[in-house]
Amino acid sequence: MQLAENLRNKFVSKAVRNVQRGYMDDDKSRGLFRPEVKLDLQRSRLMTESFRETDGQAMVLRRAKALAHVLDNMGIFIREWERLVGYQTADPNGIYHPIDMNWKSVLRLVKSDAGKALLNDAERKELDGICAYWKGKSMSDRQQEMFTGDLGKYWQYEGTYLWTHWSELGIPDYETLLREGLNARIKKVEERLEEIDRTIPLDYIEQKEFLQSVIIVLKAVINFSNRYAILAEEMARSEKDPERKKRLEEIARTCAWIPANPPRTFLEAMQFFYFIHLVRYLEYSTLGIGIRLDYILGPYYEKDLKEGRISRDEALEILQLLWVKFLELGLVYSPLVTSVYGGVASLQAITLGGTDKLGRDVTNDLTYIALEAAKTMRTIEPSIALRIHKDTPDDVLSAAVDVIRTGIGYPSLFNDDAIIPLLIKWNVPLEEAKGYAVSGCVYMEIPGKNVTRRAVGYFVLAKCLWWALHQGMNPKTGEQRGARTPNPATFKSWEDVLDAYLEQVRFFTTKLSQVENTCRDLYAKYCPKPFYSAIVEGCIERGKECKQWIYPSMVHDFIMVIGSTNVADSITAIKKVVFDDKRVPLPELIDIMNKNWEGRDDLRQICLNAPKYGNDDDYADIIAREVHHRTEAVMETVKDRFGYSMRGDGSAVSATYGLAIDTPATPDGRFDGGPFADSTLAPQPGMDKKGPTAVLNSCAKIDTLQTYNHLLKQKFMPQYLEGDMKPVFLSYLKTWREKKIPHIQFNVVDKKTLIEAQNYPEKYRDLIVRVAGFSAYFADLSKGLQDHIIARTEQQLS
Amino acid sequence: MRKRKSKNTKKGLVFNVQRFSIHDGPGIRTTVFMKGCPMKCLWCSNPESQDFFQNLIVRNLNCKGCGACVSVCPQGAIKMSDRKGRQIDWGKCNQCLICADVCIYNSLNVCGMYVDIKDVLDEVMRDMDFYKNSGGGVTISGGEALLQAEFVAAVIAACKKMEIHTVLDTTGYAPWAKMKAVLKFVDLVLFDLKHLDCVQHRKATSVGNELILENMNRTAKERRIWLRMPVISGFNDSEQDIQKIAILGKSLNVIKISLLPYHEGGKTKCEQMGKVYPLRRVKVPTDEHMQRLKELIEGEGVICTIGS
Ligand code: SF4
Ligand code: SF4
Repeated sequence: MQLAENLRNKFVSKAVRNVQRGYMDDDKSRGLFRPEVKLDLQRSRLMTESFRETDGQAMVLRRAKALAHVLDNMGIFIREWERLVGYQTADPNGIYHPIDMNWKSVLRLVKSDAGKALLNDAERKELDGICAYWKGKSMSDRQQEMFTGDLGKYWQYEGTYLWTHWSELGIPDYETLLREGLNARIKKVEERLEEIDRTIPLDYIEQKEFLQSVIIVLKAVINFSNRYAILAEEMARSEKDPERKKRLEEIARTCAWIPANPPRTFLEAMQFFYFIHLVRYLEYSTLGIGIRLDYILGPYYEKDLKEGRISRDEALEILQLLWVKFLELGLVYSPLVTSVYGGVASLQAITLGGTDKLGRDVTNDLTYIALEAAKTMRTIEPSIALRIHKDTPDDVLSAAVDVIRTGIGYPSLFNDDAIIPLLIKWNVPLEEAKGYAVSGCVYMEIPGKNVTRRAVGYFVLAKCLWWALHQGMNPKTGEQRGARTPNPATFKSWEDVLDAYLEQVRFFTTKLSQVENTCRDLYAKYCPKPFYSAIVEGCIERGKECKQWIYPSMVHDFIMVIGSTNVADSITAIKKVVFDDKRVPLPELIDIMNKNWEGRDDLRQICLNAPKYGNDDDYADIIAREVHHRTEAVMETVKDRFGYSMRGDGSAVSATYGLAIDTPATPDGRFDGGPFADSTLAPQPGMDKKGPTAVLNSCAKIDTLQTYNHLLKQKFMPQYLEGDMKPVFLSYLKTWREKKIPHIQFNVVDKKTLIEAQNYPEKYRDLIVRVAGFSAYFADLSKGLQDHIIARTEQQLS
Repeated sequence: MRKRKSKNTKKGLVFNVQRFSIHDGPGIRTTVFMKGCPMKCLWCSNPESQDFFQNLIVRNLNCKGCGACVSVCPQGAIKMSDRKGRQIDWGKCNQCLICADVCIYNSLNVCGMYVDIKDVLDEVMRDMDFYKNSGGGVTISGGEALLQAEFVAAVIAACKKMEIHTVLDTTGYAPWAKMKAVLKFVDLVLFDLKHLDCVQHRKATSVGNELILENMNRTAKERRIWLRMPVISGFNDSEQDIQKIAILGKSLNVIKISLLPYHEGGKTKCEQMGKVYPLRRVKVPTDEHMQRLKELIEGEGVICTIGS
């Protein structure tokens, strides 16, 4: 067995660094990636070659052929320790950039300080040539061309929302894929082709082109695997080291069998899964994984164990190797987008625990082995989403707490008692709701279903409040960008403030959805995904690519909201200071805020002294509840192109820090550009003064059923999770579950360590912290974001 | 939370209600700290709990130098200087607390509030779910809670009625009748003991230990005791001292003995209240020494923890 410690030293993290906050630089000189990371042009080169040849054909076929061309020709390699293979680029330190999406930003990047180390001069020249082809053809060109008038105006990031196409998630139907293998799937498509040849449906051409493209990609995936089989066999022949030779022969056997055929062993199942994940990622650079690892792969392990083919240690090693595979993936983000994804590699999470369709607990030996893999590897990804329900075994929770105790920030815990009813409210049938999974952050997924193209963007609710206090007009520029809500001088109560705020929410959600819906049309037309369509349920049956129809639920269209706590605290402060205590009229308070509290520190202090959400104080919490419930209700009135509602989502990533820069001072006492509360349920840092139980009580007043899947992060000192205190902590989690709070995760590291790490980054290269929904290497974060994390309240009372 | 009322027997004087308290008894608890103490321990780490009245407590770091307090002080006890900022002349201050009302920056604060039984219960009940799952409950601590025995008895009687687990954390320095009245509603007693020698005890706490030891013996017959002892270098940390404590603990069949190593936490708070911190140059006991004392106690067959 290879040691975790050895493996940990072998990979290079592809995590991106936050180099911008909004349009402002943030420690940019650090570079976008670690210095070893290089941009690999293979995918761009091969895609371009293929696209040059397929001009004039249907887009779905062109993209299928391009993907096949990449899989058939890209350089492959097997590293000395590997038992699981497959790589996104021809170089272990490589990262690819999706040229088909956007060429301008990568061109800008490799010529900038933050990214010039990514390519050498010759490659930079080649990239110029490749970009020349994509001019006018990449998705971002098409968007730019299409987004004119109001769409153009509201597409641009200005601080209220950051629209982004990065998070296109969804979880393939691994259960069926593994059971049947890809050959069976190809056969099914061929039968469908025969069938439409007989029935000639009205959309015959569309169906035919789509089904043909599916066959192309599925065959290419099988061929891709075969290429590894051949390479491994060749390498095995000349390999002297018997251990290594054995590994290579095993790879050859595995890759020759799967994914064409259903896996026979745990290792084969794992390799199958990884090829699917990898190819998906090569088809369309995306985030997330979400596989229910123990539920899907546990039975393969148990069968191997029973039949004497595997030991527990070996399974642990295979998982550790899988962890390395996950970490090898990464994405190139535009510097602006690093404001929200700072520290992320590709935001991959796996799901453990939960129930099957019938509500029976699914945890098995692999659940524990996966937790152990996480504990021994201590890597930023994959994050683990652990589903908790009333029958989750105590031992699983206890093992999970031991992993949390290490400070890596996961598993993050998801509460079935809150989430399943929420999914049912979103019209997900009960049996499917019970199968939910989490693909990254707190993204809700229904595995195997056509749930795709979903994260709409980051929506700064606090800025909506700011617009409401300015009648939708920017006081600096005079531009009327928001809705023309009533003059704040006429507001009689905090409810009037809330109403004006909600009007702004409605206005900007509508704008955001117009951009999104238009963009989705563009993607459906120019960026079909034949491979993804082939691995979810329903596309082959319908003969329709995944963007041409939709799983019937509002689970899809989530808008990640940030700053809700700041909105609540601000409205509470206005209630207290302006209307109850009458210390200052509202217009005067707004003036003072516009000067960023300058000269009126006293008033800022009085606003800070007003009750704050997170202290189990109804004065503040009831307003918070109103803000949450009614914001969601307003967002739901806005629809996507299939008629389903838009909704909120708690996956804040680091946007609460990154995007906050573009929201001026708010009445909660926050300064211009100051960070927001960490997550949708979290109190503003430093404002929760009554400890963690009071925070949970405050959170419980916000009804998940009337809102969405929230994120809540708390910070505990490590000693609360060990020894005598561990049972107390476990009981705390039980109460969390009973309070039906949908999510919780923990940052377990003491302040002293963080400050040390800030001063001596070399010594703490491996230190991982929870940012928001994901874990990051502390050293990859900018000084500002580090300070923010240090400042977060430590729950360390008594 | 700043409630100010003239002294009133129906009200209790409380200086803090601490939620998620996990060192003052089993599970997750809410600890209600009653203000006022008949003893004056030199090392007291909560000197703000000593006076049986509200007093001014100052956090210099919070002061923004706005000057609002200077003009309202009827005693002229507050001064501003360029070099030292806002300063209190504690000799002049008569604790009228007017200044705390005008300081918005939380630099001048009132320590202690008069509360109704209902106020305390409202706060305590908020964490019921956490008590239930953790085996926790409410702890009444001080100061010396028995100084307000009537109020305390009413609070914990009400808690018992709601089936909340109750702990009394006491110095044991109170008339037995009062103690007995409270014990009726108490599930577990955290008994603080400083020294077995009466003379030494009086020197360090201003009172003798006869009453305390007598109460401890009586309490042991009615309730389980968890003994807690501050370990002060050179005062009560010799092996003989600890040996005796261990033997006493064993004879009283205590649940465990907690050794609380001395720390200087009380010093800053004294400064914040214009009090003189009476201890000087007392060392914090070393981890090794604490470990040795722990082993000594365990040698007598009594469970021992360090810290809590
Ligand atoms: S009122 Fe408070 S902040 Fe102002 S000078 Fe006095 S102590 Fe300082
Ligand atoms: S409490 Fe003391 S310092 Fe404050 S106003 Fe009264 S006398 Fe002056």
